[in-house]
Amino acid sequence: MFSDNPLLLHTRRHFFRECAVGLGTVALASLLNEGRAAEKEAELVNPLAPKKGHHRAKAKSVIYLFMAGGPSQLELFDHKPKLTELHGKPIPEEFIKGKRFAFMDSFTKEPPKLLGTRRKFDKHGERGTWVSECLPHLAGVVDELAIVRSLATNVFNHAPAKIFINTGAPQAGRPSMGAWVTYGIGSEARDLPGFVVLQSGPRGPRGGAPMWGSGFLPTTFQGVPFRGGGEPILNLSSPKGVSADHQRDVLDAVKELNSAHLADTGDPEIATRISSYEMAYRMQTSAPELIDLGKEDRRILEMYGAEPGKASFANNCLLARRLVERGVRFVQLYHTDWDHHGGGGENLTTGLDKVCREVDRPCAALIKDLKQRGLLEDTLVIWGGEFGRTPMGEVRDTVGRNHHIEAFTMWLAGGGIQPGDLGATDELGYAAVDDRVHVHDLQATVLHLLGLDHTKLTFKFQGRDFRLTDVHGEVVKKLLA
Amino acid sequence: MKPLLPLCVAALLPGLGRAADAVDYTRDVKPLLAKHCGSCHGADKQRSGLRLDTAASIRKGGDSGPAVVPGKSGDSRMIQAVTGAEDVVAMPPKGPRLTEKEIATLRAWIDTGAPTPANEVADKPTTPASKHWAFQPIVRPTEPDVKNKEWARNPIDRFILARLEKEKIAPSPEAERVTLLRRVSLDLTGLPPSQQEIDDFLADKRPDAYERVVDRLLASPHYGERWGRHWLDLARYADSNGYSIDAPRSIWKYRDWVIDAFNKDLPFDQFAIQQLAGDLLPDATTEHRIATGFHRNTQINQEGGIDEEQFRVEAVVDRVNTTGSVFLGLTIGCCQCHDHKFDPLTQREYYQLFAFFNSVDEPTLELPTPEQVKKRDEVKAKIAALEKRLKAIDDVTPEKLAAWEGSLTPEAKAMLPEKIQAILAIAVNGRTPAQEQTLITEYRNIEQTRHAATVLGESNAFGRTAHLLVAGERQALVKALSDAKKEMPAITTTLIVRERKEPRTTHIHKGGDFLRKGAVVTPDVPAVLPPLGIKEKLNRLDLAHWVVSEKNPLTARVTMNRFWQAYFGAGLVETENDFGTQGTPPTHPELLDWLASEFMAPLTLPSPPKEGGEGRVRGWRMKEMHRLIVTSATYRQSSKNRPDLATVDPRNRLLARQSRLRLEAEVVRDVALASSGLLTRTIGGPSVFPPQPQGVYNFTQVPKDWKPSTGPDRYRRGLYTFLWRSAPHPGLTVFDAPDATFACTRRNRSNTPLQALTLLNDQGFFEFAQGLAGRVLKEAKADDEERLRYAFRLCVSREPNQRERETLARLLTKQRELFAQSPKEAQALCPSDLPKDADVANFAAWVAVARVLLNLDEFITRE
Repeated sequence: MFSDNPLLLHTRRHFFRECAVGLGTVALASLLNEGRAAEKEAELVNPLAPKKGHHRAKAKSVIYLFMAGGPSQLELFDHKPKLTELHGKPIPEEFIKGKRFAFMDSFTKEPPKLLGTRRKFDKHGERGTWVSECLPHLAGVVDELAIVRSLATNVFNHAPAKIFINTGAPQAGRPSMGAWVTYGIGSEARDLPGFVVLQSGPRGPRGGAPMWGSGFLPTTFQGVPFRGGGEPILNLSSPKGVSADHQRDVLDAVKELNSAHLADTGDPEIATRISSYEMAYRMQTSAPELIDLGKEDRRILEMYGAEPGKASFANNCLLARRLVERGVRFVQLYHTDWDHHGGGGENLTTGLDKVCREVDRPCAALIKDLKQRGLLEDTLVIWGGEFGRTPMGEVRDTVGRNHHIEAFTMWLAGGGIQPGDLGATDELGYAAVDDRVHVHDLQATVLHLLGLDHTKLTFKFQGRDFRLTDVHGEVVKKLLA
Repeated sequence: MKPLLPLCVAALLPGLGRAADAVDYTRDVKPLLAKHCGSCHGADKQRSGLRLDTAASIRKGGDSGPAVVPGKSGDSRMIQAVTGAEDVVAMPPKGPRLTEKEIATLRAWIDTGAPTPANEVADKPTTPASKHWAFQPIVRPTEPDVKNKEWARNPIDRFILARLEKEKIAPSPEAERVTLLRRVSLDLTGLPPSQQEIDDFLADKRPDAYERVVDRLLASPHYGERWGRHWLDLARYADSNGYSIDAPRSIWKYRDWVIDAFNKDLPFDQFAIQQLAGDLLPDATTEHRIATGFHRNTQINQEGGIDEEQFRVEAVVDRVNTTGSVFLGLTIGCCQCHDHKFDPLTQREYYQLFAFFNSVDEPTLELPTPEQVKKRDEVKAKIAALEKRLKAIDDVTPEKLAAWEGSLTPEAKAMLPEKIQAILAIAVNGRTPAQEQTLITEYRNIEQTRHAATVLGESNAFGRTAHLLVAGERQALVKALSDAKKEMPAITTTLIVRERKEPRTTHIHKGGDFLRKGAVVTPDVPAVLPPLGIKEKLNRLDLAHWVVSEKNPLTARVTMNRFWQAYFGAGLVETENDFGTQGTPPTHPELLDWLASEFMAPLTLPSPPKEGGEGRVRGWRMKEMHRLIVTSATYRQSSKNRPDLATVDPRNRLLARQSRLRLEAEVVRDVALASSGLLTRTIGGPSVFPPQPQGVYNFTQVPKDWKPSTGPDRYRRGLYTFLWRSAPHPGLTVFDAPDATFACTRRNRSNTPLQALTLLNDQGFFEFAQGLAGRVLKEAKADDEERLRYAFRLCVSREPNQRERETLARLLTKQRELFAQSPKEAQALCPSDLPKDADVANFAAWVAVARVLLNLDEFITRE
């Protein structure tokens, strides 16, 4: 399994040898020079078995609400009266000199003009946090959130930017955050994958599978996409016409023959295969129950705005709660169409209204629901896109905003997070000026909350140690409770 | 020197106005630079391409440009670096910073014009380029002596055995015959042996029976498929453009070229040269051009709003990195942004390699058949004729228009539509382009009508008729043209590389950013490797020849190591993609060098050579190396775990046994197809679409077209499955097939529940189980025990043992009884084309047995 990790391969062989000659876990522990023999033993059979991290974790699981396309922070969270005041004026040249943007031709004719928001902002919650009228439900739980208005990233096209925030590099091929996490600490879920990806919106997000891929880590750690409607996992149902009893009979025979072959060859890989089949069978049994939202209390369904059997972001939020309840380590929800350039339906009026309506209530419901069940304290909830949007308008059919990497807003809540406002942008909302949080810092912080040190969580590939944060990243201390 | 310094500094203080000539380069500046900068910018090492040990090299500068601007210390990078100015990395990075005084000395020297002493001689390097093993020439080692001479079948075994004897470990016995047959068949062709082949081999008592099998397998066209697919991993072959849009592309001709090259045993040096620079070969053939598709397997970004140059550069970067890892086994990619942290490779050298690949165009090559050429010429002629007629109708020159306008009488004008009258009322130079166009259209209608009307008479009614006639003719022409275009034959195309007439200038990209251009570089190879030997007008062909030159210490070692990896699960160098200083050293260095030298050595065969001339056969023969490895005693050992090895060699690096290896994704499919008797053995052709579960594209940006193939194409080998980079067939991904974003030099062999779900439940695999059940019932003697034996042999080649027979028989009996009671359930498991009189319960029970066999660990393992 860990063909790229000589040590683990080594320890596995050792484990089986020691067992074969009757030495118990004590011998194994001394062999590994770590007091984690039982843990190692479990890992040999199931690479997703829970593991201890580098330090005590504040969060056990993650629900990452990914707003694909780049939500406009200036319409939602970053209140800029000055920008409204200067609406229609050209942006001062010092802001954009030497900077690059997507769709550069939209800037070539004349200096871009500032675009004040038409959305009304109000102070909410005990701290008086600014949130716009677009997110009324979320405003109701704002005291639970840490709103970071000073995010910055490196990449201004969708796919590379999404891959960057997920994997720490803009090119596809590195392991994603969820893969690193399950590689680092495994998963508590016995019957389900450790890293699950859910999707809503009209189409898949730009960037695709590399965003939840395992890169050069073993594929065990890659995100498993659950499909909206139909089967949540590919090939989860037995072939048409195969009854549960029949399936079990087939599996029993497979197990018997594989066990005999294990005895004959002594190859521990067969033991892993046997346990994979058992896990597969448990998934077949447990996943249909998991996705059946019909059993949820009517009030809960209403709170989320979820309708059993329908594919929606609301259903996915509820499903995410059910997944972390069952011990799944990392759940990522993609919601597409936040790319409000101003063309077609992609505008800051009806287009933005639509996506806000789709996510506002379920996001707030998720926070409330997790809290009332006592799950919020060890579930880290993350909300945000791959970049932000410019304070300058972009003229298409209507006036929208272009991709922007210098400043955007995300919020975090739950497991180990200190609620509050963090960071600020300049008076036009162009760039982060206080407590700038780079994407690599965010990644370091997420790992930290899960008990992982981002500088130590490494994997050797192509001759060097790789990590999620590349050679950058610092834990954002101010975000920690 | 010291006592002078305060004076110098005083001399430099602003306002003092003293002459600055108190600073002397040789006396003051040179020792200072040697002390602070020499270890990184001296004779031994030139970080960022910068050397500071002579005044001339200081002026020349490094990858970021000159270090000094004579007369302007403030603008000089050297001063910016030592003072830690913005945007420049502060120097020195480690050790004490320069004192104020020292900085003042440097400033003074620069401000006086940085005078350069005559005849300054640069220091000679004190250390050799590298002592690292992989950069040393390949010297053919002598075969070691071994005690157990009986065991060794060829030189490979002597190297392996010598080490085992040293460790006092006995090798494992040879694997059972049938295991060996299945192993070598899977390794060389990716298909299990047929029942006949098993029987023949077991009955063949000749001492060279096994070698005969190897000959047969190497001559099989399936060998090219099997080893071609290994190469396609390196070539990052896919059928789509990648990135987010991921549109389909046609480059399967390159895939077929690779298969064919293996089958005809194209020597590896030719194989490499044609792929890297086939277009530059004298008298390059179509085949040579197709081969250059190797470096067209780069991704293409079609997302809106991108910078085209950025992604052109990304593709060149990929070509450099892929060439580095595939042929040289080096992590050259590290140097895109900075000098290599561990290996003697610089960023400058990276861009020197980049320069070889920077001057290519990326055209599409059409590959018409002779019939298609004929047809295309016919259609082209037809189209040209139609277009000519259309043009005659449509052509309007400004002169014609002006003449027409001038000829219009007031009465004539009054008859024109109001819109036209309005335009005519505007002065010619005051009309908008849109108005011009409206006028031209009107003129065309009227004037062309007039020609017709002249024939028909001048009356208005006739004129209108004539107008309609012309309009009708035009319409007919447009339709004929569109029909003719549809007749164009659908010609196969493939993506190729072509050298530009005018090469592009290559700059170093500072920090790997293509927008931050550093010094200009010209093509060359890294200094730590043997030189090219030529200096003028270097191109990719020169690079290709260098890659496979016998002096190159890496290519043969890297290639042989990868062969070894395919046969034993790990290479002699375990880090198959890093032969640099951070890689693991080879377990058997002499064996690796022996293989490499044997690989390159011209081989003399008893039969007269067909190519190569002068009485010898060319080297770099791949089939010969495969033959050597698979006929060795080392390869032929049993793969069973040995408790005695657990302590001394837990990871089987010494190879006192073979390794059990899970089959690659495509081969998992292939063995299922072969066992069930469904396999279509066609070699090559456009990629195909075997069934896949619903919902695969829910997660891709652009939904893909996947209409499952029917007929024989439904059952093609795994390597022909259409590969969408953004969403490869899940049956491939789940077994660790690469997604072709980068060159994949080694696949993972994971072992996951999703694999279990695939083999258990996937529609395709269920069809295979039905196929297997049908085949067994049809082909084996009508007797449960015989049938079980036959089915078992079809799947894992060997005979079932007592326990296995009992387990399967029990399952069969139970299922048959159950299905007899519920015929409906039984019917559901049978294929729809089952004959009406068939015993449905029996068939369904056999489907159960077949499913068990297709899910065995042994079934997807090479023992």
